Amino acid sequence: MTSRERVQMALEHKDPDRVPLDLGASSVTGMQVDTVYQLRQALQLDPPGTPVKVTEPYQMLGEIKPDLMGALGVDVVGLGKPATMFGFKNEGWKPWTTFEGTPVLVPEGFNIEPDANGDILMYPEGDKSVPPSGRMPKGGFYFDSIVRQPPIDENTLSVEDNLEEFGPVADDDLEYFRREAERLYTQTDKAILANFGGTAFGDIALVPAPWLKHPKGIRDIEEWYISTVTRRDHVYKIFERQCEIGIRNLEKVFAAVGNRVTAVFVSGTDFGQQNGPFISLKSYRDLFKPFHREVNNWIHKNTQWKCFIHSCGSVRALLPDFVDAGFDIINPVQCSAAGMAPEELKKEFGDRATFWGGGVDTQRTLPFGTPEEVRQEVCTRLKIFGKSGGYVFNTTHNVQARVPAQNVLAMYKAVRECGKYPL
Amino acid sequence: MSLFEEMQQAIIDGKAPVVKELTQKALSEGIKPADIFPKAIVPAMDEVGRRMRDCEFFIPEVLIAARAARAATDILRPLLVGDAAARPAGTVVCCTVKGDLHDIGKNIVAMMLESAGFRIIDLGADVSAEKIVDAVRAHDANLVAMSALLTTTMVNMKSVIEALAAAGLREKVKVMVGGAPVTESWARSIGADGYGKDAPAAVDLARSLAAA
Repeated sequence: MTSRERVQMALEHKDPDRVPLDLGASSVTGMQVDTVYQLRQALQLDPPGTPVKVTEPYQMLGEIKPDLMGALGVDVVGLGKPATMFGFKNEGWKPWTTFEGTPVLVPEGFNIEPDANGDILMYPEGDKSVPPSGRMPKGGFYFDSIVRQPPIDENTLSVEDNLEEFGPVADDDLEYFRREAERLYTQTDKAILANFGGTAFGDIALVPAPWLKHPKGIRDIEEWYISTVTRRDHVYKIFERQCEIGIRNLEKVFAAVGNRVTAVFVSGTDFGQQNGPFISLKSYRDLFKPFHREVNNWIHKNTQWKCFIHSCGSVRALLPDFVDAGFDIINPVQCSAAGMAPEELKKEFGDRATFWGGGVDTQRTLPFGTPEEVRQEVCTRLKIFGKSGGYVFNTTHNVQARVPAQNVLAMYKAVRECGKYPL
Repeated sequence: MSLFEEMQQAIIDGKAPVVKELTQKALSEGIKPADIFPKAIVPAMDEVGRRMRDCEFFIPEVLIAARAARAATDILRPLLVGDAAARPAGTVVCCTVKGDLHDIGKNIVAMMLESAGFRIIDLGADVSAEKIVDAVRAHDANLVAMSALLTTTMVNMKSVIEALAAAGLREKVKVMVGGAPVTESWARSIGADGYGKDAPAAVDLARSLAAA
């Protein structure tokens, strides 16, 4: 059975030979670069000191190369936009060292400046002539957006201001998607999880637009959340326009990549906190669901792609509506959040949705547990979520920095040993 | 409806300009700034907390109400400087810990604590243990409230508690912690006095710790 067939069977809620595994196919199913380095060293894939590429500079995710995929049995590859969160492309690699002392390679656009307090500042498109858009605290592991909020004048606030990043897909990008889909489809046997961008409505990680040099409109995080109520019609109009543009782009992208893609990352908007949703069910239904439905309907009508939604936190109250809006795949399945117990989720949604994640708790067990605790949790989750297919193993969100290599090894050993059907 | 009731309703409804106007009106009528907290702001934000707990309010509504409450507290804060009796609940030094830039949760907790009648010394995000110790001493605080969003930074909470002990301040202050990866058992394991699972819980916790 090929990896692609394995993932396909899982998505069709049938038992494959083993539970398929994702690592690194998206920016929420990957691994922080220091940890990738430690893992590669532990598996003796590289001589000590061999740098790892940073493929996603915002969260500092490390490259999952084919040799690592082979060693772990990874079944999914990612197809993303050529530009990173900071607007520069993953090309022209140069050496850098993380605060942790890990040798890495970063793209040539990764142009940083130290701040007075020892933090690192990052610039949109690597252009130091404009204000920085990202900051990594001294000793830190990830960047956060520097909010650049121009003064808001209600009289001149325009929907267009928040649409700068949602233009028609560029011909170069289309050609890149076509070429990459072809390469990944013919040169690997993996399923492709694509993220073409533009269909996540109000994703708070994207609202500050760290890749734009001079973002306009509503860019402050608190202001955005408030605006979903106080400027609700304005936000609705932004989503309406974004949806039109997004679907037009999907038409072109589908013409370029066809059904080589298995699943498409539609939404990464976080709707959950630890104890409940960020917003009311009514707000979800009024403001977000119509557009989720429209995008998913287009995809289902015109392609064979499965629709993937990522939302951290406790989203139990929203899950029936996610499924009803046409999402086929739920990620990252944060079982530690309120109401997200694996047995209940599988029982209630297992016949309609594929869970992609939730394999081990990355807030507690993986960083702070023992290898045996990791093994037990992984095996339990595989048994629960893997029943009758409908499951792709991944951790609950990215594997973070400072996770012991022994725990990561214990996790993948458990996936191999406990992930075979019959479970 | 009394002036205080009007203020309460305006805070709950998130009408910041109305709250500002009513606060100024109250002051012009000779109402003491210290009375506006317990009679208008505290009950309003208690109601906001209740609605959040009961899933009637979510993050946007809480932020809007907190912003409206801030329209009052921004006016009252300078008038209460040096008047310790005006803030009987006590003084809270709050921050996001070293290495962590995430401050939305911390800001909501700080706004709700201030609206509950605490004096807030908000040190911001990415704050060292040394700065926290200095602030506790300088402002004679009785509570420290720390937040962390990352598994890589929550460990710094322990260093803060150790630094407070080393400075001889641990007996003087209660320490409360919160943030996405933080749990009750984590709070206990690092020697914190309490864990707030969300902003209303943090307010309840701060009140009980301050009263202890």
